[in-house]
Amino acid sequence: MTATHTQTPATRRAGAAEGDLERATGRRNRRTYLALLIPGLLGLLVSFVFPLAYMIRMSFNRGAPDGIIEETFTLDTYIQPLSDPYYWRVTLDTFQMGVTVGLLCILVSYPVALFLARSTSKYRGLLMAIAIAPLLTSAVVRTYGWMVILGTNGLVNSSLEGMGLIDTPLKLTNNMTGVTIGLVEIFMPYAILAMISGFGRLSPQLEEAAGSLGASKLQVFTRVTLPLSLPGILTAFLLVFVLSISTFITPRLLGGGSVQVLATEIYDQTTGLLNWPFAAALSVILLVLFGLIIAVYQRLTKKIGG
Amino acid sequence: MRVITKGKIALAAAATAAALVLTGCGGGTGSAGGGNSSATSGELNLIAYSGVWQDQYTAAVIEPFKAKYPDIKINYASKRSSAEMLSALQGQKNSPATDVAIMDNSVSTTGNTQGLFDKIDAAAVPNLANVPDKFKNKDGFGPVVMLDAVGLLYDTATFPKAPESWDVLWDPAYAGKINVNAPPSLLGLSLTAITSKMEGEDYTKSIDKAVARLKEMAPGVQTFAPNPDEYQNVITGQTVLGLGQNARGQFYSDQSNKKMGVTFPKEGTVYQINTVNIVKDAPNKAAAQTFVDYALSAEAQTAFAKALFYAPSVTNAELPADVKDRVVPTDGSLNIVPLDVEFLATARDKWTDTWKRQIITK
Repeated sequence: MTATHTQTPATRRAGAAEGDLERATGRRNRRTYLALLIPGLLGLLVSFVFPLAYMIRMSFNRGAPDGIIEETFTLDTYIQPLSDPYYWRVTLDTFQMGVTVGLLCILVSYPVALFLARSTSKYRGLLMAIAIAPLLTSAVVRTYGWMVILGTNGLVNSSLEGMGLIDTPLKLTNNMTGVTIGLVEIFMPYAILAMISGFGRLSPQLEEAAGSLGASKLQVFTRVTLPLSLPGILTAFLLVFVLSISTFITPRLLGGGSVQVLATEIYDQTTGLLNWPFAAALSVILLVLFGLIIAVYQRLTKKIGG
Repeated sequence: MRVITKGKIALAAAATAAALVLTGCGGGTGSAGGGNSSATSGELNLIAYSGVWQDQYTAAVIEPFKAKYPDIKINYASKRSSAEMLSALQGQKNSPATDVAIMDNSVSTTGNTQGLFDKIDAAAVPNLANVPDKFKNKDGFGPVVMLDAVGLLYDTATFPKAPESWDVLWDPAYAGKINVNAPPSLLGLSLTAITSKMEGEDYTKSIDKAVARLKEMAPGVQTFAPNPDEYQNVITGQTVLGLGQNARGQFYSDQSNKKMGVTFPKEGTVYQINTVNIVKDAPNKAAAQTFVDYALSAEAQTAFAKALFYAPSVTNAELPADVKDRVVPTDGSLNIVPLDVEFLATARDKWTDTWKRQIITK
């Protein structure tokens, strides 16, 4: 009894001291964490938050012809594009392009990613490097490459003509077809990387188990492999979608002025017509609209991904 | 592991926002180079075109200038278009970092009205006396420094004889083999004015007829934004006809061993005129005047005409016959469709919109 009596406060004291110590260490740790965050936050502040805030403020100004910016607070720059069917069509085209490129990119990258994820070969590292090697070349250079390949006298058309399959060259560039082909290839390495990192739960044992329990190869794929690789696929789609809707170089170079998406529209307004407030408003619309779409998508995929 | 709570993030965001409010969102400006130069020494910040124009202007004008004034250091800021130059100058309005700008007169006129440029002091720029009145600015701002015009580019294998009319752009035989730079490019704006004139319309009142006609042409256009540029498209055989500037067209014609030619069709064409301008409150004004004077010298104008086939704007520049034949005539012998720069400033947005919505097809 006494022992308990004398011990309890001691234990309590010891416990309190331990709690103090933990709290103190915790505070110190927290301070360290925050201190460590500062360089990154400062970088973000200068390179992202400042320009973004400047752009948002700019979007409420009024743009007169020839680059005159009237400092004011107006919603005209938003009302104009939102009430104009032309900009809705451009937005829809941007969305469609993102979805198409995302789907096609998954389609062509999935087998590669699956192969790399399962490979036990000693060359796996090398194969992986080859798959992502295109990232070492700039997207501009690769887009120019596609212009040469897809052009009227390019590799594809001259080969098809040489084989007698076509009489007149196919229009593969200066339109959405060209832009889509270019973007799918350019974003493949991103899709492959995203999928491999999302294939965590995929395991050969599960497939073997399904096989030994009598599932056909197709069943193994549709019932085991595909569902387990779904998180990777969904992440890769989102990544490629986001990259596609914000990309400017490829639609500009391979679109030949006929492909109008939000990014090219923003470029024209900024550098050609010098209407910065309007360009800023379009950028904010792009940001908000697609931010919402992405938020909804992530909600949905969280449910699917479990 | 501790997690940074949402509250902390909100705190960081609030701090950021406060910092933003404190610093304000004023336009950033670069610091001016030089600032203590004289007429023959110091720095000079020039803003002008990029690419082949920059290469040729550097070789034909800037290098000889440097040889003549070895104590002046030239910093060349290159831009792809006059609009980009204007945008840069607007950004520096409160503390100019540029001394001289060479740009299209439709854009420099805007700069003049916006108070970005200074009037030229004839006493400090003696060669201004050699610029005929028609090429001087009526209010005394930067004068014309060189002239060119919109030409029709053609593949010499397809057209052994240069096409005579702009109508060839509508010929179904060449459908799918044409490149046309859509507005806001000056080439597309010029084609709009030319087509308007061909249709007997006053473009300052309406371009409806021109739009209807251009709509007929559009399905045959392979690209409205040729890459890498309008000249290479024709030279590489991607297209056989295109819109381009005469000066660069002549240059690339030589470069490509005459694979491409450039001509002025009979219905007329539009001048593309560059002016040389001194920026208001230029940090190196004296050196800027020295440079403008040199740019208006017969020596510089002849050298650049030989290099890139721009017509001189001064009366005392003597060109060799083979160069004279290839620069745009400025003596009234060429059929010119006048494109009023002040009108263009108001129409550029509308015409660009019209092309995007009505003319360009997918």
